[in-house]
Amino acid sequence: MHKKNITIALAGNPNSGKTTIFNNITGTRQKVGNWPGVTVEKKEGSVSKYGHDLKIIDLPGTYSLTPFSIEEIVARDFVIEESPDVVIDIIDASNLERSLYLATQLRELDCKVLFALNMADVATSRGTKIDANKLSELLDVPVVFTIGNKNTGIDSLLKAAIKLAESKSKISQKRKVKYSNDIENSISKLQSFIEERIEQNLPYNIRWTTIKLLENDKIVREHIRQKTGNKSLEIFREVGTHRKHLLDRFDEDPEIVMTDERYGFIAGIIKEVVTKSTKRRVDTSRNVDLVLTNRFVGFPIFILFIWIMFQTTFAVGSYPMEWIDSGVNWLAAILEPSLPDSLFKDLLLNGIIAGVGSVIIFLPNILILFLFIAIFEDTGYMARAAFLMDKIMHLIGLHGKSFIPMLMGFGCSVPAIMATRTLESNKDRILTILITPFMSCSAKLPIYILLAGTFFSAKAGTVIFLIYITGIILSIITGRLFRSTLFKGADAPFVMELPPYRVPMIKSLIIHMWDRSKMFLKKMGGIILVGSVIVWMLTAFPRHINYSMDYNEEINNINASFTEKQKKAAITKLKLAEKAEKTEKSFMGRIGKTIAPVFAPIGIDWRGSVALLTGFVAKEIVVSTFGILYAAEETDEPDALKNALLSSEMTSLSALSLMIFVLLYLPCVATIATIRRETGSLKWTLFSIVYSTSIAWAAAFCIYQGGKILGLT
Amino acid sequence: MKQVHNQEKEQFKKLFKQENISDFEDRFKVLEVFLQTEHHLTVNEIIQLLKENGYELDPDFVRETLKLICRFGFAQKTRFNSGPVRYEHRHLCQHHDHMICTKCKKIIEFQNEKIENLQTQVSRAYGFHMLQHKLEIYGICSECLKDHLKLMPLVMAKQSERLIIKDFTGGSTARMRLLSMGLRIGDEIDVITNSGLGQMVIALDCNRYAIGHGLAQKIIVQTIS
Repeated sequence: MHKKNITIALAGNPNSGKTTIFNNITGTRQKVGNWPGVTVEKKEGSVSKYGHDLKIIDLPGTYSLTPFSIEEIVARDFVIEESPDVVIDIIDASNLERSLYLATQLRELDCKVLFALNMADVATSRGTKIDANKLSELLDVPVVFTIGNKNTGIDSLLKAAIKLAESKSKISQKRKVKYSNDIENSISKLQSFIEERIEQNLPYNIRWTTIKLLENDKIVREHIRQKTGNKSLEIFREVGTHRKHLLDRFDEDPEIVMTDERYGFIAGIIKEVVTKSTKRRVDTSRNVDLVLTNRFVGFPIFILFIWIMFQTTFAVGSYPMEWIDSGVNWLAAILEPSLPDSLFKDLLLNGIIAGVGSVIIFLPNILILFLFIAIFEDTGYMARAAFLMDKIMHLIGLHGKSFIPMLMGFGCSVPAIMATRTLESNKDRILTILITPFMSCSAKLPIYILLAGTFFSAKAGTVIFLIYITGIILSIITGRLFRSTLFKGADAPFVMELPPYRVPMIKSLIIHMWDRSKMFLKKMGGIILVGSVIVWMLTAFPRHINYSMDYNEEINNINASFTEKQKKAAITKLKLAEKAEKTEKSFMGRIGKTIAPVFAPIGIDWRGSVALLTGFVAKEIVVSTFGILYAAEETDEPDALKNALLSSEMTSLSALSLMIFVLLYLPCVATIATIRRETGSLKWTLFSIVYSTSIAWAAAFCIYQGGKILGLT
Repeated sequence: MKQVHNQEKEQFKKLFKQENISDFEDRFKVLEVFLQTEHHLTVNEIIQLLKENGYELDPDFVRETLKLICRFGFAQKTRFNSGPVRYEHRHLCQHHDHMICTKCKKIIEFQNEKIENLQTQVSRAYGFHMLQHKLEIYGICSECLKDHLKLMPLVMAKQSERLIIKDFTGGSTARMRLLSMGLRIGDEIDVITNSGLGQMVIALDCNRYAIGHGLAQKIIVQTIS
């Protein structure tokens, strides 16, 4: 049988159960991508049913089609530009009035709409009965009952969608919102005015376009400007006259009057389709909110949850981390003897396996972190967390929602920056992305432990804590600074629905967690791989180095006089010296020496410079680079590196300066790639790199030179 | 009314004497007769009226006197529908001061001796001859004030208070946003949490919303008792 393609878009309010229905239809056959041009997540799934290939698109959850946020713009543009065969509007039965507001707007758009009356069971339990037939009749739209979380009604929904897509009948023009006389007059006058002035047809319904122009919709205005060229001025003047007229008539902006009238229309429908019993059930969510958002206990509870999240992420995550680590080591150990010595072997072992291995061990952490975030999101707690943090985030000039990415930044900047997608305003999102790298990520911790442990032994804990605090303070300063310069402008009004608490569905949790982790593995794996190979090449080449002495001969010379133990020690020492010299004379070493003058004022020598450079690939590498450069194998003797550092020219002051630099300087390749992807702008990516590095240098300079003046060396 | 007219007579006497105007007694009769009626009168009607009261006066004299009376501000000329010129009283001291409510447009009349005396004093101090004055105090009357106090921005609401949304101030964008999320004028809401710094959680039926400080200031509510 010939299969036909049908595109179905799912629209609906946030928390209307849209995503659950989407998951139920498509299962794991989902593709997560971005909407073109913006970083709003685009979810697509395909399924073959009833002899049709169905392509399901999950539109972002919106309250209206008035373009306030990117989500609303994306949803509307998809419906008008791509004209899907059917739009299924998921109507939250327990929130009928508000859901119908979006529904009436969809009806005005002149597309094939189908209503899924979702969660009617919840509504019934709250004492609301909805007459679906009446609703269908009144709006002239097919209505199907569904219960998303019980997976009922999905099949009949799809059948109805296919039937609607196949039907040839024209979209009914009846049963749309009729406005009051004054507005209808303006609409029809303006409509004919526009029709007289444009030769070619407008791509969208003319009545809708007229209504949007009266509502002063910026995007539709822009469309008209492009379509009508120099006639647009004339049209806009006419629109202005009508808007003025309506403003005088109603003493309100026309968009407000029209919204009110739409609600009036909805009220009429609700009166006919809803029967309410007077019984009032206890609203559990409301009672939970009395506690969880409470002005006194809400915050401590929140801190507790966050503590549990981090504790679990790092404590529980450390076990699988070890397994993966030993797995990587095991792989290296197997390959080591079985491969002949060659450049390829070196690349494979020291480049690819070491590099990718050092990053893949974070997979358990990321999985757990995302599991927690998925739980927070699916239970509805995330919105409360954003509420609780709002007053603190206001210090930075951001909303509470920005807190979640920043918090995740303590774990790893990559998922943190990915989490900025939940932010509505693009300004807020970029600002959050810019300050998130200042939240010291977990990969930087080994560096602090090494340096603080070596130079501040007893006070190491305090020093590390202060470094974290420095990061937080600088992020606040940066936030405030950028807010008042680069990201000026009024805050978007902060209003957010707190969804009812729900028990999360396992399926949805797993899909959620897997989506993110897959992205981490796929994208970051590639970058890490390339980065690791580059670092390896820089340290491995040139192959032939003029050593200051012939190490092999020296080793042979030792053999004669020493005892076995002394001999072994001496050999190790020479081998390490060889390795150190090799690194010093490799491209990496040469680069380090070239850039060393830049780091001299902040008390960092060429070895430190090289280490910092390699940290660009992944911050963990900084420690291992130190190991190589200071000619000590950390694995053999735990304190060897410490002793080597202590006996070097490094002082506690330069160590502090180095740590501050590490805290603030440019993020790792993976983070930069994520910033590039999420901001969608090379400009902001470069800005982030330059800004963080200059701040790092300036801060380290102040500490080092200030300390020197105070005589702290 | 009599009282008031006596006052006017006193003033009249004083003024005319100051100006050394002749035939005071006769002129005073004109004034007396004029003040006794509350109608708008033409010159002829006034002459007629004087006759009825037993005063035979020359019409030109009466006309001149009326002009004088007008000049001193006790009367004014009006013409109704291009008819003959009529004279009417300008109630000077009989006036009361007004308080006008800008909200319900109610007018409250009041008189206060102290203010009156003070005005006379001030005028005197400036060597100013006061004919009349007008005092209007604009404001909000006690009833409107009672209603007004009940109205407050949402930020001021306390936890677990039950409120009704009365108005939105601020731009149409913020308002449209609230409207599309289902918050409308006339909705009854409960305050679940007020963080003290403006962030609030409110409940409308079974929905709850977190609202930032800026927005909470723009939502005008009234407590439901």
